[in-house]
Amino acid sequence: MSKLTKEDLHFFLLKLHSLTGIVPIGIFLAFHLAINSLRTVGVHQYQFSIDLINNLPFLFGIEVLFIYVPLLLHSALGFYVTFAGRMNVRRYPYYRNWMYTLQRITGAIVFAFLVYHMGTTVVPKIYYGKELFDAAPFLIDAMNREFQTWGGRILYLAGIFSAAFHFANGLWGFCVSWGMIVGPSAQRNASVVFLLFGLVLGLLGAATVVEFSLHPVPVAPSFTG
Amino acid sequence: MTRETIALKIKRQDAPGAKPYWNVFKLPSLPHANVISCLQEIQRNPVTADGKTVTPVTWDCNCLEEVCGSCTMRINGRVRQACTALVDILEDPIVLEPMSKFPVVRDLQVDRSRMFENLRKIKGWIEIDGSYDIGEGPVFPEKIREKAYALSQCMTCGCCLEACPQFTLTNDFMGAATFSQVRYFNLHPTGAMNKEERLEAVMKSGGIADCGNAQVCVEVCPKKIPLTESIAEIGRETTLQLLKNLVLK
Ligand code: HEM
Ligand code: SF4
Ligand code: SF4
Ligand code: FES
Repeated sequence: MSKLTKEDLHFFLLKLHSLTGIVPIGIFLAFHLAINSLRTVGVHQYQFSIDLINNLPFLFGIEVLFIYVPLLLHSALGFYVTFAGRMNVRRYPYYRNWMYTLQRITGAIVFAFLVYHMGTTVVPKIYYGKELFDAAPFLIDAMNREFQTWGGRILYLAGIFSAAFHFANGLWGFCVSWGMIVGPSAQRNASVVFLLFGLVLGLLGAATVVEFSLHPVPVAPSFTG
Repeated sequence: MTRETIALKIKRQDAPGAKPYWNVFKLPSLPHANVISCLQEIQRNPVTADGKTVTPVTWDCNCLEEVCGSCTMRINGRVRQACTALVDILEDPIVLEPMSKFPVVRDLQVDRSRMFENLRKIKGWIEIDGSYDIGEGPVFPEKIREKAYALSQCMTCGCCLEACPQFTLTNDFMGAATFSQVRYFNLHPTGAMNKEERLEAVMKSGGIADCGNAQVCVEVCPKKIPLTESIAEIGRETTLQLLKNLVLK
């Protein structure tokens, strides 16, 4: 490719924003919510999933490369995109304009939620050096405490549903921007399918919240491997 | 609806950058009047509702049949053409404002040069003359001609940009009309010879990637141009062009 100008870079970064929303962040979100919902099946399955993740080789590197860097990039560009436009849904209250507006609002909510969520999970986990098999009891204990109050439950439900909507609607936007759904009826049908998908993700998350709220897990001291 | 009089509340501005202010005019309500005929009435007798004689309100218009796009303004908050805005079916008072996403020249007149600059950037024309004869043009398949006809009706009025949340007075977003014109000229068999240049012109800052898919543009386009289809189509072609540029160039 010829010399990269500032104008080309702009286009390139916006494409990257769009792409990072799906791979890896969106994929991560879908797996994160699905795996966490194992909690509704049993404590064992849930603890096993956490143990598995926390015993991955190069875990920190994987997290930085595939989650933190793309997430920071997507968020920074997301705020840039949000402030480049000016919402006008009150003057032009069409369905898709609502979706456009909600995409931006839920993006901001998810960002705030993630600061809190990561600040109360991964950050202390790393700070207190809870690695390998020590991670699961530590994290489950943190979640237990989180869901003892209505404040915690509502916070998590808001974060989960915002993320699920943002991902589902973002998936639609991605398919339009990259030219995978072109005609009006294809776009309408895809919108229904993606929103249903978002609803399923949201419900998986909500089920986990309910399970934690009703039956906090008595944390058994884990064996150290 | 029979009304004796009709009030026009008009946002005015004496010069570019001057402070806007409002004037209210009361006119006898005539059958079949449209916003332009009301403005002509005000021009003949520029006296406000409270009896002050003011400078006549200025506006742009030309065709008077919704094909030139020059009379575009916000009427009761919504962007549209003044020449086809029938007074009988408008709410009283009728509020007239210039478009907000283009610099105001005076009163209801705005400067839409940004749209024309963008058409220049995307080569919004078909190259025919060279220093040599490029021969006869290829045949235009009927199916494609039909599609192209729908796109050809764009009158560069600016409605789609005025209503777009991603298009502001200060940013460099090109907007739906420009993307649709890229598609239009690329559909033409001769125009397709400059296809890549047009695509690359919208793969820049302010280009296709800046569209947020709010799809307000297609709702307000008076010519019912399938703008969102054009946007997705150009999205698809620029994506392929990007891959091509990365891998093959
Ligand atoms: C952390 C803060 C976040 C912010 C501020 C943010 C912001 C945004 C914004 C403004 C858009 C719209 C871009 C456009 O339509 O042009 C967007 C798109 C998107 N976001 Fe996010 N987002 C965030 C987090 C996330 C998360 C956690 C996910 C994963 C589920 C995600 C997935 C997506 C997807 C898939 C798109 C669609 C891209 C496209 O339109 O092509 N975002 N984001
Ligand atoms: S696409 Fe429609 S709204 Fe936009 S400038 Fe052309 S005619 Fe006007
Ligand atoms: S789809 Fe939305 S952001 Fe894109 S040009 Fe149309 S109104 Fe603007
Ligand atoms: S005067 Fe030409 S569109 Fe109204």
